Amino acid sequence: MVADDLSSNVRFGKMILPTAETVEAQRELTAIVGPANCIVDPADLRTYECDGLTGTRVRPRVVVLPATTAEVAGVVRVSRKYGLPIVPRGAGTGLSGGALPSEGSIVIGLSRMNAILGVDFENLRMRVQPGVINLDVTKAIAARGYYYAPDPSSQSVCSIGGNIAENSGGAHCLKYGFTVNHVVAATIVTADGDIVELGSASPDALGYDLMAVLVGSEGLVGIVTEAVVRILRSPEATRTFFATFPSTDEAGDCVAGIVAAGIVPAAIEMMDQLAIEAIVKSTGVDWPLDVGAALLVDVDGPLAEAEHTAAQSIEIARSSGAIEVRTPRDERERALMWKGRKGAFAAMGRISPNYYVQDGVIPRSEISVVLREIGALCAREGFRVANVFHAGDGNLHPLVLYDGRIPGQAHHAAAVAADILKICVRHGGSITGEHGVGADKAAYMGEIFSDDDLETMNFVRCAFDPERVFNPGKVFPTPRLCGDRPGTYVAHSTEIAGEAGRG
Amino acid sequence: MMTHVADVVTPGSIDEAVSQLAERARRGSVVTFVGGGTELGYGRAPERVDTLLRTERLSRILDYAPADLTITVEAGITLGALQATLAPERQRLALDAPQAARATIGGLLATNGFGPRRARYGSLRDLIVGVGIVRADGTLAHGGGKVVKNVAGFDLPKLMVGSLGTLGLIASATFRLHPAPEQQQWHVLAGRSAAQVRELVRALVECKLEASAVIAHSNGDAYSIYILFEGFGPSVESQGAKLHDLPRDVLGTDARPIAASGDIDVASLDETARLYGSIRVRISTPPAFLTSLDRDVLAPLRVAYADCRVILYPTIGAAFVGGMPRDSEALLAALQQARAVVESAGGHLAVVDCNEPELRERFDPFGTPPPSFPIMKRLKGRFDPERRLNPGRFVGGL
Repeated sequence: MVADDLSSNVRFGKMILPTAETVEAQRELTAIVGPANCIVDPADLRTYECDGLTGTRVRPRVVVLPATTAEVAGVVRVSRKYGLPIVPRGAGTGLSGGALPSEGSIVIGLSRMNAILGVDFENLRMRVQPGVINLDVTKAIAARGYYYAPDPSSQSVCSIGGNIAENSGGAHCLKYGFTVNHVVAATIVTADGDIVELGSASPDALGYDLMAVLVGSEGLVGIVTEAVVRILRSPEATRTFFATFPSTDEAGDCVAGIVAAGIVPAAIEMMDQLAIEAIVKSTGVDWPLDVGAALLVDVDGPLAEAEHTAAQSIEIARSSGAIEVRTPRDERERALMWKGRKGAFAAMGRISPNYYVQDGVIPRSEISVVLREIGALCAREGFRVANVFHAGDGNLHPLVLYDGRIPGQAHHAAAVAADILKICVRHGGSITGEHGVGADKAAYMGEIFSDDDLETMNFVRCAFDPERVFNPGKVFPTPRLCGDRPGTYVAHSTEIAGEAGRG
Repeated sequence: MMTHVADVVTPGSIDEAVSQLAERARRGSVVTFVGGGTELGYGRAPERVDTLLRTERLSRILDYAPADLTITVEAGITLGALQATLAPERQRLALDAPQAARATIGGLLATNGFGPRRARYGSLRDLIVGVGIVRADGTLAHGGGKVVKNVAGFDLPKLMVGSLGTLGLIASATFRLHPAPEQQQWHVLAGRSAAQVRELVRALVECKLEASAVIAHSNGDAYSIYILFEGFGPSVESQGAKLHDLPRDVLGTDARPIAASGDIDVASLDETARLYGSIRVRISTPPAFLTSLDRDVLAPLRVAYADCRVILYPTIGAAFVGGMPRDSEALLAALQQARAVVESAGGHLAVVDCNEPELRERFDPFGTPPPSFPIMKRLKGRFDPERRLNPGRFVGGL
């Protein structure tokens, strides 16, 4: 994504002619959500022109902010009646343009639906509305010693509905899994404006696992208006350490060593020299600047487990060539270390006017090799690259630093970032680990999926939304219709002759 | 139900499965898939079967990356063979479903098989990261990938879990692996009531004990509870000690660790009980429903079954009940009543296996389809528009 780059690609939505029909649509939407929650003023609409992917902007036709499931259903039905494409939006913090409006679309913002509907400590479940902020889920139950596990770096501002759409991860998903592992049921509004319950508070809801489809569907299958999430008992103990290394090679060895020792840390985050520099300048942490890489590691669990695995991991860090290992003296110091890590993207402003971040994933054993390839690529193209990422699961976040004021740099940086994804794919990885495909990476889906794969995924979408009114233009690289059902397969003549296979 | 099928194919490679299914598509044949054959009784009888595709020769390891804790296998490999491949690297697939020597990965995925360690590691949907399927039309398609973290595209791997062969042939799968624990220790507590089982589960959560498995077993009214701690030595020992420090009214008087030499083999006890009887059911409820479950569901079933075995996984909310019918009519009535209670608590009761033809006819294996059933029907319609894959076998006749 291109951050803070207002100059590139600004598109203004078509001037909306006040035809009798649009006036009527507006009137009907206003009747549902109230005049204060139906936004049509061009100046006010600007807020909704993009999400965290700020480089591309499209002005929606109208933004509505419903307060109830019934209002969402009503808004969807009106949108359908007037043929408006529908773009759901959470907190607008997404990094792949998942909430980027389509031309002439209606944006349904869920931020007003931010109530916690109930906590069930007996069954370790919590029912929330989609606009609830991720961190507020944990805050509501922390006093009793419980928490909600997925912790994207934006957790203090991103919402559960957006997390569900993107299947958000975070530093601690290495041990605890992603949003998909922590949301068990949801109420959705379908493309027909129907209200449907998916999943179940009991294990293994009957029938197909539609929750698995919903979580990570990037707004393409329905609008979540309520969700039931799993809550966990906070671990008895957490042990954190910060280790510095001469280069990312030794840090990578340390990650491999910890994994080989049979330890599953809660988190292993890696930062390279440039990332450390930005974080130090931005947050004032006293991390050394003359090191090549650093790891921030959390192990947790029962006290004896946390102590044992922390001691072992620190030993592995030392034998991998760590320059220094620091352990926080208290919770305040630990929080500061994590604040440094979680503020890394924002810190880039201290060392570069703009950056383009990727979200590629690689097998964790390839970290050192891939980082070197990325470094060489960026050097060749004349860019600095900072790396701050989830090393435990191989989820890279290379930040290509550039200056948007220099004509052409933004596009050049985007091209380099695209090449980074190709490196990840070549090493057996994926184009996105947690940010989602959205508008940003739709064009790269073909790098990892065949036409047959994408067609199969499209079956899923079409089962929910055959008219493709939800979030058109996202995820799929080329528009796919739902009309063509697969007929009986007819083999190509070369296949019959044994000259070519399928797959 | 499989005895009169004339067309049986046993592909030796995924390519071969692709061409065989493409050929069956041309002929309009209706296909059923068979792995180890351990769950053939699960689900309704398919409306028609022309072709049986057996996956036993699709048993290769395609890619094992110990350093990445991932493995890709053909779906006909048995769980046991897979675990044997991983053991020398001190790794495992964190799945302890019954009949590992026979059950195949594809079959386990299709039926969402699981064992007691699900309490800690989740079910197959939490372990699968990639899948290769052969569609009804003979097209090979993939979802997910080979890395443990990946949000590109719809999650086909998880969608296939529990789909009972109605969306496509599961041809290959990639899993995230876990390190094999350095130490494991079971503990046993005997003679507990359902309320006491529930109380113990609450105490485990309260004390932040992280059990890998909790099993409550009964062949009468009282339960024996088995608790497993796994991990590094110091942790397994300290958690065991902490367990035995729980108050007597929670723990009972005879709690003890099970000796390593194995005076009780908990795994085989679990498996034997789960496979016991001529009609076996699986019950899913919210975990805290346990006391009502015992009183309003299990107690009547114990009367209707002769020699009833119950395995509860109380931290998961899953129960397996099996036995011999004392009287078909009475058992049918008890099962219908049990299902009504469970469904009203937001759960379901599914028949896992039934060798009683009379009951099989009269008691639907799944019960009331969920509110999202219309979406499921459309999904089936997209994947298998000609209804040639296990038609009618799954929930609501999908």
